[in-house]
Amino acid sequence: MSSFKAHSVLPGFNLALGFTLLYLSLIVLIPLSALFVNTASLGFGGFWDVVTGDRVLASLKVTFLTSFAAAVANAFFGLVVAWVLVRYSFPGKRIIDALVDLPFALPTAVAGIVLATLYAPNGWLGQYFAELGIKIAYTPLGIVVALTFIGLPFVVRTVQPVLEDVEAEVEEAAASLGAGRWDVFRRVIFPAVAPALLTGFSLAFARAIGEYGSVIFIAGNMPYISEITPLLIIAKLEQYDYAGATAIALAMLLISFALLLAINGLQWWSSRRGAR
Amino acid sequence: MSISIQNLNKQFGTYKALDNINLEVNSGELLALLGPSGCGKTTLLRIIGGMELADFGKLLFNGEDVEQRDARERNVGFVFQHYALFRHMTVFENVAFGLRVKPKKERPNEAEIKRRVHELLSLVQLDWLHDRYPAQLSGGQRQRIALARALAVEPKILLLDEPFGALDAQVRKELRRWLRRLHDELHITSVFVTHDQEEALEVADRVVVMNKGVIEQVGTPDEVYAAPATSFVYQFIGNVNLFHSRDHAPWTSEHGDVVAYVRPHDIDISTTRQDETSLPVEVKLVRAIGSIVRVEVAADGSSEFIEIELSRERFDAAPLANGDRVFIRPRQFRVFEEASAA
Repeated sequence: MSSFKAHSVLPGFNLALGFTLLYLSLIVLIPLSALFVNTASLGFGGFWDVVTGDRVLASLKVTFLTSFAAAVANAFFGLVVAWVLVRYSFPGKRIIDALVDLPFALPTAVAGIVLATLYAPNGWLGQYFAELGIKIAYTPLGIVVALTFIGLPFVVRTVQPVLEDVEAEVEEAAASLGAGRWDVFRRVIFPAVAPALLTGFSLAFARAIGEYGSVIFIAGNMPYISEITPLLIIAKLEQYDYAGATAIALAMLLISFALLLAINGLQWWSSRRGAR
Repeated sequence: MSISIQNLNKQFGTYKALDNINLEVNSGELLALLGPSGCGKTTLLRIIGGMELADFGKLLFNGEDVEQRDARERNVGFVFQHYALFRHMTVFENVAFGLRVKPKKERPNEAEIKRRVHELLSLVQLDWLHDRYPAQLSGGQRQRIALARALAVEPKILLLDEPFGALDAQVRKELRRWLRRLHDELHITSVFVTHDQEEALEVADRVVVMNKGVIEQVGTPDEVYAAPATSFVYQFIGNVNLFHSRDHAPWTSEHGDVVAYVRPHDIDISTTRQDETSLPVEVKLVRAIGSIVRVEVAADGSSEFIEIELSRERFDAAPLANGDRVFIRPRQFRVFEEASAA
């Protein structure tokens, strides 16, 4: 500790760290440890039985796969949106810029109902997909659509400032050196925004894993097919199975934490290679 | 490779950035585009580089129309004021970039890339920094790396946009001499933009003085300094005193209503009245700056200061002090019509 202090010219290290730990404890750690405590009443055997139940495993699979798919879609389209917002100027740009934040502000249940109506087999958009034989609402695909909607701002808002930081001059320099558009993107722009893109991806991913409101309206909630884990937790609570509910929550928490840790590690590695 | 610019025009909204520009750049020469900010010099450079399109007019490289070719097909090296290095790449990778993005058929193999990059890094005397990242370099080093990167693709034309503008005075001076030597070695047709007249005069073979989207004069550094074509060039290059014939320029009587432009070192001071063209003045300030002495005087009844530069020898032969009353007369001057004077 003292060597930490000796290297820092900023005052108030002890106070700041103390506050950070206290705050994190109150807001994050204590509620989460309650989860552990509550689950402990089951014992490890009981916990294992709950979380490896077929229905729970299926719901975990749906939750994480749809979240991942939505985060990937958001990483791609979010990058495109950020790119357009940063690099071009066109009438109505500010309005589009503001629109990006709407998914943050809209109650997620509203989003879920709207999306379900749109993508239902007889909805505005759903009818055309239905003709093609693609069902979106009330399937895992519908979950992906809802989660994509929810997660878009995370990617755009993390990538946008970094992209703004990449001067147009750098791209011009690359072009004058003979690089085609694809080379410019692959070798110049992408490496510069990759760490931010990864951050946006993991934020969108984490948000999607915990999403409840919008998903339950569009998912159809069929056990084993389109039932997400948060819904299963609610179901357990409604049956007064508190220990079971917390057990599933704990499993989700552990998997999420492991995944986010892995993404953070990847990010640390990529930014160490990059913007030094 | 020679560059020929014919009747080039460029407008941004209602603002005319380039107004009918005609310019020939000879093969192998180092040309400076000199002018105050907003005069269109950078726009002209960017049009040559293919980063901007002219509204109309012709641009020829070696007699060949290149308007339709975009930046990457022009084989032009571009050096930016703020370096525009790739932050996430090492110095080596920055310089190797142009070689790595070549089409597969033309791309040299890894060993050849390595050889070429180290050769270029030695040329800019920074081979020892090859594994650093741009953020770890000083401004002068970054600009030299940017130059090495531009040279890697063996451009036929090198364009430099205020290449030393972001550097401090000492480094700037050193780098521009170095650029001149490098150009003498490589003989690559080069155009560089600057707002610093000293830089243009010291480095360039020929200087193009621009103002408000038009070319005021093209000539050797000596020509533009000694024989300015317009009143703007007179004022922009070197210091100049303006004398309005109506007020206090007795030697311009035969020219009518004009403004006389006189360089500070072209003015004689004497303690006695030579003839009726001498102007009586009072010495207001004497300041010795290195090898020259700068004397500021004011004519009777005028608040405008006239700047005179004397060599130290001349000053020592006839010292002056504040408040001395003396007579001045220009050794040479140019007159411009009142209206055309800037």
